[in-house]
Amino acid sequence: MADNIRINWGKLLRRILLYFVVVLICLFILYPYFVMVCTALKSRSEIFSMNGTIFPIDVMWSNFIDIWQKAPMARYMLNSIIIAAGSTAIAMVCGIPAAYALARMKFKGQTAFLGFIIVSQMFAPVVLLIGIYKVMQILGLTNSLLGLIFINAAFNQAFTIWLLRGTFMSISAEMEQAATIDGCNRIQAMFKVLLPVAAPGIVTTLIFIFINAWNEYTVALCLISTDTLKPLTVGINIFNGYNMIEWQYLFAASIFAIVPVVILFMSIEKNLTSGLTAGGVKG
Amino acid sequence: MKKIIAMLLALVMVLGLAACGGSSAPAATEAAAAPAATEAPAASGEKVTVTMIAAQYGPKTGDWWADFEKKFEAANDSIDLVVDCVSWNDIYTVVNTRIANGQAPDLLNIDVFADYQADGLLLPAEEWCSAETYAKFYEAFLDQSVVDGVVWAVPDLASARAMYYNKDILDAAGVAVPTTWEELTAACEALKAYDPDIYPWGIDMTTDEGQAAFAYYTWGNGGGFVDDNDEWALNSAENVAAVEYAVGLVNAGLTNSDPATNTRYDLQDLFCAGKLAMMIAPNALSSQAGEAGINYGFAAIPNNSGTSVSAGVMDRIMCFDNGQSDEQMAAITAVVDAFYDDEPYSEWVLMEGFLPATSAGGEACAAADPAMGAWIDIVGSAKFYPTAKAEWADVKQGVIDVEQQALLGGNVQELLDNLQAEIAG
Amino acid sequence: MKQKKPYTLLNKAEPYLWILPSVILMAIFIIVPIGFVFRMAFSQVTKAGLVKGFCGFDNFSKVLTSAKFGMVLKNTIVWTILVVVLSTVLGFILALILNNEFKGRKIARAIVVFPWATTLVIQASVWKFIIDTDYGALNTLLKSLGIIQQNVNWTPTPEAFFAWEIACGIFVTIPFVCFTALSGLQSIDASYYEAAIVDGASYWDKLFHITLPLVKPSLTVATVLNIIYVFNSFPIVWTITKGDPASRTDTLVTYLYKLAFYNGKQGEAAAVSVIGFLILLVCASIYMVSTLKKGDE
Repeated sequence: MADNIRINWGKLLRRILLYFVVVLICLFILYPYFVMVCTALKSRSEIFSMNGTIFPIDVMWSNFIDIWQKAPMARYMLNSIIIAAGSTAIAMVCGIPAAYALARMKFKGQTAFLGFIIVSQMFAPVVLLIGIYKVMQILGLTNSLLGLIFINAAFNQAFTIWLLRGTFMSISAEMEQAATIDGCNRIQAMFKVLLPVAAPGIVTTLIFIFINAWNEYTVALCLISTDTLKPLTVGINIFNGYNMIEWQYLFAASIFAIVPVVILFMSIEKNLTSGLTAGGVKG
Repeated sequence: MKKIIAMLLALVMVLGLAACGGSSAPAATEAAAAPAATEAPAASGEKVTVTMIAAQYGPKTGDWWADFEKKFEAANDSIDLVVDCVSWNDIYTVVNTRIANGQAPDLLNIDVFADYQADGLLLPAEEWCSAETYAKFYEAFLDQSVVDGVVWAVPDLASARAMYYNKDILDAAGVAVPTTWEELTAACEALKAYDPDIYPWGIDMTTDEGQAAFAYYTWGNGGGFVDDNDEWALNSAENVAAVEYAVGLVNAGLTNSDPATNTRYDLQDLFCAGKLAMMIAPNALSSQAGEAGINYGFAAIPNNSGTSVSAGVMDRIMCFDNGQSDEQMAAITAVVDAFYDDEPYSEWVLMEGFLPATSAGGEACAAADPAMGAWIDIVGSAKFYPTAKAEWADVKQGVIDVEQQALLGGNVQELLDNLQAEIAG
Repeated sequence: MKQKKPYTLLNKAEPYLWILPSVILMAIFIIVPIGFVFRMAFSQVTKAGLVKGFCGFDNFSKVLTSAKFGMVLKNTIVWTILVVVLSTVLGFILALILNNEFKGRKIARAIVVFPWATTLVIQASVWKFIIDTDYGALNTLLKSLGIIQQNVNWTPTPEAFFAWEIACGIFVTIPFVCFTALSGLQSIDASYYEAAIVDGASYWDKLFHITLPLVKPSLTVATVLNIIYVFNSFPIVWTITKGDPASRTDTLVTYLYKLAFYNGKQGEAAAVSVIGFLILLVCASIYMVSTLKKGDE
């Protein structure tokens, strides 16, 4: 009994230190979001007042309502969802077979293909704006959500293939081989055996692309000129206007853009680590 | 056999790609067809499309244009007007990208025109602006858009700058409204002594609008961008002294903390919060400061040469040469006429808080708001940027760079000499 | 393999069909635009953006001889190295901490995800607002806590501004590194550590001889992707300073953006992007030669 009561001081100290550090880091990370929420609840004059306070003195919940009248927020949000979902679908349809080929087959030019993928990432979209616009114009996709969907899918191919290839490689090929012997062809084997097992990694990849597409800004800015086709990231710039930045509205609108993503991310938090492992170790 | 099936399936996947893309964005495809004004001339019975990019001056601009579009189309059922309203942050990116791809709009509302004119992209104003509308503009404004004796753009609105001051702060500190540089320096020092928490004077030398600061000080010192023969004269002794004076105010701690990144909008916010005593701003600040409860006044910009010069800024509407048919040209003229129709036009100018570019608009605005009258006089005496000169874009970025280097301790004479050499060759 | 011989040709072609959709997608939407950029880099482009024919290396020589290019390049290298190195180190340490078992670990991990889930433009706007001298949240916070009495100018020099931008870059990059490292850590078999404890290894022995070597592969991939993304990062610098004053805080991407859309020199802007691409290409080739080759054989 005495043993159990005796306190291991060293261990306790380390625990306390651990909690202290973790809490500190969390506070630090949350700070910008705290600022965002507090500012979104202030009135404009309070934001710029001589003696600013941390918390709003007059809580302006109306800011969160006003933005829906001042901008077509619902429309922006719908556009963002369409773009993100569409890009994710295309990126997966193209990425899964490519990753499968890289993981399960040997072919000449494998290295070249991997190199090609990396090279494709070396120009920032900002740099390619004019070229992208030209392609979109040829395809008749300027000022359309479909164009943005393709661009986002293309710019996320590298990430998709990389993560999925790792996931597939971390799964033994034996089961698929067994299925093949049972009369399945490769595609059946992939759908019936591999994909269900790889589900966690696939979900992680899905959400990654979704979030990247949701957060994309520069290309959307340039390709979309009609207000009702703008995604949220571009649309909320209406509060960053010619005469002034309406911080309170900008931040209130930003919160609407962030919340869905954070919820999505939290939902895969557990998968996230396993998905990335696969992507990394075998890469 | 299996292999063949596999290959077929892989092919199906490729084809499925396109289908998938199509089905995942039904809303997108219809919109894709919209910006097609410049394609084939409309067949008879079909609608003629006119595309326009308009600058977003304020939060209500987009709605105003949408409303204009609706009313215009109701009155002209054979014309389909498509107006894209783009914020000033993005408008150059959007316009240049579209021009680079041969997708110029029919009508463009922006500040500059010389680059487009130099590439032969524009149509002379006479070809698309009815004589009736043309006659409405102030002559001095039209002169700002002349290259080779031809008017290439018409003014949509103007704004002029004056010195705004916070009456309460100046009174409390016992400072009179300065009219010369000497008085300005003295006033700033007195204000600083009165309350070190208040910035006496606002200076904006940012990438956004640093060329305006160059104009205020050089014009106030008898210098400027060009000499009497309209040749670049950036390194004149007056200009060097002017920039040195402005930078001197910053170094003496009499201004806002960081002129290289504090934009005029930041300064206006400071002014409206009572943290900044004086600044040079357009008339739009009146309503903003009024709403914020600031007891403000405005006066001529302090100068060193004996004559005060207001800096005028003028934006324009221009028409791109997209090989339009006669029908389309008629439609464009109809749009321009409708826009400058006295009633909607003055309503628009008043809403945006700018100054009108037409005499009828000027009368209407002065009648609606007595304070406007003073401003319309100011704009009459204003100097404008030499935007008609082809090198203007380089000069604009160049003087901003000079100012920022000077703030970091660079030698103004040397910097301006280099810029002059670079621009004038 | 023998029984499949009749189908050798198909066999050989099959993998290419599998990667075909991906190749088509990237070719149309990335490689073709890259082609346009190369064409513009070697063409004379007017201010309004019309391409007026081939001009050799004119754009390149204009860029390389401009007084600012050296400084901008230096900024870009400083920016990339500091952001990548510091975020990798800090992200790894954070992963080590979060790999401990403790109450609330789930919540802590969820919080770490936040910066990752936020658009860069918004992130940068918030930080710009926080460090503002006149109404910034940081000054308000410190004044309320009684640490300072007067507003502090956090960005008195261009270097200070750049440092804040780098800090912001690190802040948004850490979660990605952290989760990659965390996934690596969790895949390490506990038996390695048990054996090490039997051998009497210290904490640091375990860290340097077991943990690091086993996590390294996952971090290498993350680092290469990071280098590319950070090198090409645009919104942070653009939102906070636009590269001002006098290009002291410009990186290649913001510099070329200004060249293209503010100065109307799209040809030179394209040349800058080609130069940036070549730098990245060299770095990535070195990486691919050293690591990927092993995987291919």
